[in-house]
Amino acid sequence: MGPLAPNEIISENTNFLLAFFIGIAFGWVLESSGFSSSRKLAGIFYGYDAVVLKVFFTGAITCMLGLLFMSLFGWIDLDLVYVNPTYLTSAIIGGVIMGAGFIMGGFCPGTSFCGAAIGKIDGMVFVVGLFIGVYGFAFTYGWWEKLYYANYLGEPKVSEALGMKDGLFGLLLIIVALGMFVVAEWAEKKFPREEY
Amino acid sequence: MSNNKTEERGRRYLNPYVGGVLLGLVLLAANFISGRGLGASGAIKSVVATSIEMVDKDAVNTMPFMADYAQSHSGSPMKSWLVFEMLGVIVGGFLSGAIAGRLKLKVEHSPKITSRRRLVFALMGGVLFGFGSQLGRGCTSGSALSGMAVLSMGGFITMMAIFGTGFALAYFFRRNWI
Amino acid sequence: MKSLKFLALIIIPLGIIIAAVPADRVRHFQLTADELLQEAGAGVQFISPDVVADMLVQKDPSLRLIDVRTPEEFDDYSMPGAINVPLSNLLADEYTDIINQDAYVNVFYSNGSVYANQAWMITRQLGYENNFVLEGGLNYWFGNILSPEEPSQTSPNEEFAQYDFRKSAAAALGGGGVVSTEPDVPAVKAVKPPVSAKAKKKPSGGC
Repeated sequence: MGPLAPNEIISENTNFLLAFFIGIAFGWVLESSGFSSSRKLAGIFYGYDAVVLKVFFTGAITCMLGLLFMSLFGWIDLDLVYVNPTYLTSAIIGGVIMGAGFIMGGFCPGTSFCGAAIGKIDGMVFVVGLFIGVYGFAFTYGWWEKLYYANYLGEPKVSEALGMKDGLFGLLLIIVALGMFVVAEWAEKKFPREEY
Repeated sequence: MSNNKTEERGRRYLNPYVGGVLLGLVLLAANFISGRGLGASGAIKSVVATSIEMVDKDAVNTMPFMADYAQSHSGSPMKSWLVFEMLGVIVGGFLSGAIAGRLKLKVEHSPKITSRRRLVFALMGGVLFGFGSQLGRGCTSGSALSGMAVLSMGGFITMMAIFGTGFALAYFFRRNWI
Repeated sequence: MKSLKFLALIIIPLGIIIAAVPADRVRHFQLTADELLQEAGAGVQFISPDVVADMLVQKDPSLRLIDVRTPEEFDDYSMPGAINVPLSNLLADEYTDIINQDAYVNVFYSNGSVYANQAWMITRQLGYENNFVLEGGLNYWFGNILSPEEPSQTSPNEEFAQYDFRKSAAAALGGGGVVSTEPDVPAVKAVKPPVSAKAKKKPSGGC
């Protein structure tokens, strides 16, 4: 049955319309969880506010469990769900650059749009920066092309790489995440900040 | 509405675990309906590709970046799933902020730094994030969050690289935030 | 803290259930003769040479060309970056990892398409995925992609688009092993192939 669009159960235009509604829900959840505030986001790196960690991992785990159960019930064909290809070199270097951008700018792309939507000027400036960065990449693409395609590993799943079942890896991820949440709760008490 | 009241209401954010479960359900819906995760930087790429194409019609023949892009997207670059999704994000964020009384034009920064410094760092952060998201094929939402949900190895690697670097550099930028 | 405990109470049992149930997706199943006949009849295995040319020009890392002819023929001429898996040895242990995987798009080719098609039939019956057959084989590749014929003036636009694409692809691929005598072969990279792949539709992702 699912996923609906790749199985051509819904048309391309319906898919785009639903994308808009999914976006509204996404923006709503981000904003109401506090992701429109850069100081709340950056809090994870100093321990005073771990909302990023909690929302991010709870979200990933919820979706993962949902997909695994849907696949178990035969509602969705996981082979048709997009799995990001892994290009080891560019994933690491890109991630490091993004990490530096995160700690400097206090936003990531999705959250900066949210911040900008409710009037955060720093969010708007961050969005402008994003465009400059993407233009910069587009015009210097030739320099990075080799790096961009280096160490292609296909579309591996972590569970496959570790030689375990998806479900077992899911359980491990849940336990690790809960452990991190406990540490985060402790850190929030230990490094409290003034209201910001 | 008085300023004080705005502040007070503005503090009421969702419980993070509830927010996380809701975020997971949105991501699940995206995967179930469209067979793909959420994203953000891809929409910027679409806009950038469109603007380059508008200025230089031949760009698609001369710029490898554009060629790669054209290869993976048929039709107009603006007619992409992520563009529609990001338009929704702006609307959704605005609605949520409006209902919670958080709509306010301001620069949010630590009391220890000036607005100007905050904006300069926001711009630099944006440039780095924009660049990194293209090199790393996705940002926190597209690569890390959506990738983790489908157990993609790339997603986990990107997630660890982003947050690892953040923690490693946190000390040097502490004045900006605490 | 209370909400964390509540969350843990829900997701840990769910995690244990999902870890305990056997994986339902048996990835590699054997196809029945009927299913195979249906797939072969629909021609899902064919990948158009234009698509392959485009992937080669774009240096798509997921493309893997597999030459199923004999080693002698392979040494004589092979497509750029191709590896040799002779049809007679297709099921040898050393090749299992190559034909049964999900990282690459494998494209079998032979002089025509008969041997490549046989290779596909065998692998497909074993339930392996991501294997395709180069439509028309090397003969078509040489005759139409590397030395395309200019369409007549009255031809529809699509034919001209196809011709332009093939010409630029041929230039970028250096005339296919034949060393070009022109001093500067422009590395035309960006003309879109006029036909799309018959490969299974996958949503494009990325962020």
